[in-house]
Amino acid sequence: MAGELSAVAVRPGSAVRGADRSATAWLLLAPSCLALALLFVVPIAYVLVLSVSDPQLSLAHYRRIFTVPVYTRVMVNTFVTSLIVTALCLVIGYPIAYVMARRAGWMSTVLLTIVAMSFWTGFLVRTYAWLVILGSKGPVAAAYGALGLGAAPQLLFNTFSSTLGMTHILLPYMILALYATMKKIDVNHLKAAASLGARPAATFREVFLPLSLPGVVNGSLLVFVSCLGFFVTPVLLGTPRDMMISQLINQQIEELLAFGFAAAVAVVLLVATAAVLAVYNHYAGLDRLWG
Amino acid sequence: MLAVILAALGALFLLAPILVVVPMSFSTAISFAFPPPGYWLGYYAKYFTSEEWLEPTLNSFVIAFGAMTLTMLLVVPAAFGYVRYRFRGKSLVNLLIMAPLIVPHVVSALGYYGFLGRVRLAGTLPGVMVAHAMLAVPVAFLVISATLKGFDQNLEKAAMSSGAGPFRTFLYVTVPVLRPGMLVGALFAFLSSFNEAVVAIFIGGRGAVTLPKKMYESIRLESDPVIAVVSTLLVSVVVLGVLISMFLRGRSAHVA
Repeated sequence: MAGELSAVAVRPGSAVRGADRSATAWLLLAPSCLALALLFVVPIAYVLVLSVSDPQLSLAHYRRIFTVPVYTRVMVNTFVTSLIVTALCLVIGYPIAYVMARRAGWMSTVLLTIVAMSFWTGFLVRTYAWLVILGSKGPVAAAYGALGLGAAPQLLFNTFSSTLGMTHILLPYMILALYATMKKIDVNHLKAAASLGARPAATFREVFLPLSLPGVVNGSLLVFVSCLGFFVTPVLLGTPRDMMISQLINQQIEELLAFGFAAAVAVVLLVATAAVLAVYNHYAGLDRLWG
Repeated sequence: MLAVILAALGALFLLAPILVVVPMSFSTAISFAFPPPGYWLGYYAKYFTSEEWLEPTLNSFVIAFGAMTLTMLLVVPAAFGYVRYRFRGKSLVNLLIMAPLIVPHVVSALGYYGFLGRVRLAGTLPGVMVAHAMLAVPVAFLVISATLKGFDQNLEKAAMSSGAGPFRTFLYVTVPVLRPGMLVGALFAFLSSFNEAVVAIFIGGRGAVTLPKKMYESIRLESDPVIAVVSTLLVSVVVLGVLISMFLRGRSAHVA
């Protein structure tokens, strides 16, 4: 590799030709591109093929998804739940990111530590934690009893618990996206507004909030897209009566062995995700999303 | 002030549920009762002696290590090629590299389920390893290409003009400067595999059960209290890791 890299250190316009340089680039990129084509794109293409060929060649699965009410409800439910989770993450996450970005010192450090901890704690651990908290022998149920409110309502295995769990799990992504944008906001803009007589609330509303909007878009998109295909938490905390797309895929495979139909549902999920990201890519460029 | 109060409440919402697993791990209760009726270390003993939990733990480490190695072998040259050269089809290459991050994991899982079944790698450690390596490629690529973009190539030019050959320049200038970024990239790749649940659940079968898969099955099929022990151990490792990285980096904000 060192030999190829030497080409880089030579000033452009010297002996190295454009064609050689591009050949070197392809040599460096070939292993990963080949691996991804063979070991990632092929499996995804397999899903695509399966969706129109299992058990026989037809588009019947897709017709079913968009005409049978049970399945259209799953699509709508997934969309609405994802919107709710995104909104909740934004509302809870914005003040956290704001304080992290605007307050120096221990407060920012503590918040950052908490966010990083929850970011790195696996989905299964956090899903399990919610099973304990919302369970019939959990602290919420106990609080109901202690306050004399009688038996607690069923908190688990419904849309409520799965929405809460997903919000908790995706919140760090939202906060980090917001924080990345807010951290870059030039403090001088805020000082200028204040020196021109704007009150803190007005400074926030007229200056800080608009400048933080790119972070809001990034965070919301990340959370929304992750939520569309979220698997573990809806399956473990949700209910088969109000399924999300991933639950439907799981059910079709696990209980019915309907691979063709599961594949078609997966393709719909993939297309929906890609469509959302394509719109973002058009306006902002996908590179910015994970930057 | 209002923002601080809201932030504190939000932080509590993030933190409290994670901390709940700690007392649960010392609980004597067979079911998920909180607060625990009594405390003991029995389920720790069970975790550290039961094959049923130790094997998935070992599998997770082996798979994550293998996936990380494979990912780094692919990503390091790719990042050099991508960042330092201009060539046709660059945006297409970028899309290909980012694809595993764009495609929902449940879709990839279904794909691998069928594909690895065909090539007879379903339910094997190499099968999960390869799948996890692909999923980790964009994660490591983002970190390493960012490091590479920030690299001042004048350092290399200075070394070369001082008489160092390309090999020595690479070894004594390029590698040391990029090492921290490479290590972070490798760590992210490792963790991406170690924490990955969906693909592992679909393709792990009986032969390659990872820790997240075992936890998933344990929640679904039986309420094995050992899961609280595993969760506590995992949380402890994360806490330790985050604190160490905070300590090492001082005030730097890039823990996540």
